[in-house]
Amino acid sequence: MSAGATPTRWRSVLPHLGYQLPPDRSPVRPDGTQVTVNLPMELVRQSIRQREHWPIPDEVLDAYRRFRPTPLWRATGFERAVGARVPIYLKYEGGNISGSHKLNTALAQAYYYQQAGVEELVTGTGAGQWGTALAAACAWFGLRCTVFMVGSSLERKPYRGVLMRMLGAELHASPSGLTEVARAADGSTGNSLSLAIGEAVEYAAGRDGAAFCIGSGETYSILHQSVIGLEALDQLAALGVEADTVVGAVGAGSNFGGVALPFFADAAARGVPAPRLVAAESAATPKLTRGVYAYDRTDETGTGPLEAMYTIGSDYRIPDSHSAGLRFHGAAKLVSAMRHAGQVEAVAVGQVAALDAGRHLTRSEMVLPAPESGHALAVAAQLAGGDTERGARGPILVCVSGSGYLDLAAYQQLLAGELTDEEPAAAVLRAAQAGLEPVPAAPILAQVRR
Amino acid sequence: MPDQPSTTDVDRAAVATAVKRVVIAESRLAYRPEDIADDEPLNGKLLRVNSLGFLGMLVRLEDDLDLVLPDDIFVGRSFTLVSDLIDVVVEAAGADR
Repeated sequence: MSAGATPTRWRSVLPHLGYQLPPDRSPVRPDGTQVTVNLPMELVRQSIRQREHWPIPDEVLDAYRRFRPTPLWRATGFERAVGARVPIYLKYEGGNISGSHKLNTALAQAYYYQQAGVEELVTGTGAGQWGTALAAACAWFGLRCTVFMVGSSLERKPYRGVLMRMLGAELHASPSGLTEVARAADGSTGNSLSLAIGEAVEYAAGRDGAAFCIGSGETYSILHQSVIGLEALDQLAALGVEADTVVGAVGAGSNFGGVALPFFADAAARGVPAPRLVAAESAATPKLTRGVYAYDRTDETGTGPLEAMYTIGSDYRIPDSHSAGLRFHGAAKLVSAMRHAGQVEAVAVGQVAALDAGRHLTRSEMVLPAPESGHALAVAAQLAGGDTERGARGPILVCVSGSGYLDLAAYQQLLAGELTDEEPAAAVLRAAQAGLEPVPAAPILAQVRR
Repeated sequence: MPDQPSTTDVDRAAVATAVKRVVIAESRLAYRPEDIADDEPLNGKLLRVNSLGFLGMLVRLEDDLDLVLPDDIFVGRSFTLVSDLIDVVVEAAGADR
């Protein structure tokens, strides 16, 4: 076990990419003649500026120190359980009140919004991890919080709702009937998380002192999550270990980005090759492995920007699963650009394999992982046990993004043999992606080759 | 002796030029700053500045004018005319000094 210290600066990968991220495009439904800004300036700067190190505000650092640094250890029990040929190191992010890594950016965002004079944050959440994290952050910084949670997910995980209410949040099951976007949705296309986000966008726009808070796929969110990888770099160095491969789960990309991209930045700064960076995604939402690189919307209202992302198509209706945190149609634009440039890899696994990996971890390491984290563990197990051609050639670092105590219903189904996988048919994906405008390939690739 | 512009007037003129330069660039126009009136709509027939492009513009204004725009000036506020943006940047520039 390596303890380490809490970083005092976030580290951005932007100066090391070798290209600019493709700019966003105007929304499907433009916002009229008025120009509005609902993002604190520091978050704007963190998304755009080519600056590597960003000081963590003292107020955020004080909160971080309640649960950071998070533990990192060599998982020898898990290695034996999965027949690993190479060492596997775990970085565990589930030990805070929200139960996941999402508190790292929720605290930062709540702080900046509070500094900007906002009194209430409104958001949409799938599995409830983001909603719980934002509720906790709002409680910490004295803000009101309203959460729209995917209704089917809330039914399966009622204690997520209890926890959010314990933290003082006002909680609505989505579709809620409170918004036009929910009333207009007939459920035939799109996905439940983008509808919950759309409800939050509309709800926040109609309330004084309120702001919509997007969640965890933005470039600034990934910056805040860099505390994970920065700690891991120090902790592995203290153990005398250099990672060959870094694995994280991808919903939008903040956990993967948080653990993996500091390794990319560190290697680039030192002028050495980066480790393999492997994104583990759900086979039910295979944006990085079966998606297209195109401009797509981020929420159901269409009032947000169109972002360059790997996407299975925002119109694709994603089947319910126990890994609701991965049930988003697109990957973050930063992770998508790096995938397009060949700087990160991706592997998709089904929920049965993911929860089975979680079962192995529970028995061998005394850690109950979230189903989302199970995807990263399953991919790490594949790479650790695979042939030397495609598998890892040295130590693997895998991030366990959250705890699974509120996901025991999923494990109950696994133990009962009732869990199944559902992957999208190729024809269905093609239809969902048909109307999307591809991102021109030339800019990023040309800049990388230069 | 002719009236001399006050320091505030000079600052406002410099800010107005900088603001117009970035809104012209954002709208992909080949105009000069003096061709843009203060009461020109930001998102109208001539200028095409939407909320999206506005964010990047703010960072460019910080660079061009070497100032830091405070968060509480912008969050939840709407802008219609070029002069709306000039006003808040002048305000911010004053606070930043």
